[in-house]
Amino acid sequence: MRRPPMLMHVRIQDQNRGFGLWLPLFLVLPLALVVLIILSPLIFVATAILWPSSWGKRAMLSLKAAVEVFWSMRGLDVDCHSGRQCVSISVV
Amino acid sequence: MTDKNDNKRRILDMLAQNKISVDDAYRLLSAVDSTEGGRESGGRAEPAVKGKAKYLRVTVVPDPESERTGNYDRVNVRVPMSLIRAGIKLTTLIPSEARDKVNLALHEKGINIDERNLKPEEIEELIGALGDLEVDVVSKTGEKVKVFVE
Repeated sequence: MRRPPMLMHVRIQDQNRGFGLWLPLFLVLPLALVVLIILSPLIFVATAILWPSSWGKRAMLSLKAAVEVFWSMRGLDVDCHSGRQCVSISVV
Repeated sequence: MTDKNDNKRRILDMLAQNKISVDDAYRLLSAVDSTEGGRESGGRAEPAVKGKAKYLRVTVVPDPESERTGNYDRVNVRVPMSLIRAGIKLTTLIPSEARDKVNLALHEKGINIDERNLKPEEIEELIGALGDLEVDVVSKTGEKVKVFVE
């Protein structure tokens, strides 16, 4: 079973200064759930209205795909150096 | 298997009789091993069964000289295969009007692929085939670009 990403580490470094940021992705899921519960009546009505024009189905599929993309991000690692500049993103 | 042993014995006999050099014997024995290795796997040109590919890697390693001078680009990207799979699935959500534009743009570039004809099982097959992908390029400036799956 695939596990969702827990943390994202972003590091940007310039010639003189740099900074690193740990983003707690594990907090995104409970927050998203809360937002989904709050907005669920609105989502339901919008989907019901848009369903005949196929946009409702597309919106639901897009939401599912977005969750799937988020879920698959664990292990992503991008590390680019150009001279003394560096950008690094890793998802763990 | 008997053929293999016979061939090896013949090579060793020729070496003992000084008909061939040690280097030649080594080369021939290696050739026999590699040929028989292919035949033992059923004689087909199928690659050995590998573990399931987990990541697509792209690396750009600079020339040591340019690295020393500080004028270089180094890239190391690791993309999970599951993310590629999810990304490809996203393409099915492209509206038909936009899809026509994409197909037209691809056609203009000489790529005659109709993205609508891609079925999910074909996408899976495509991703599975990525397991054998290996691109190794050395540029004029000495940069080494590698694309492979691990």
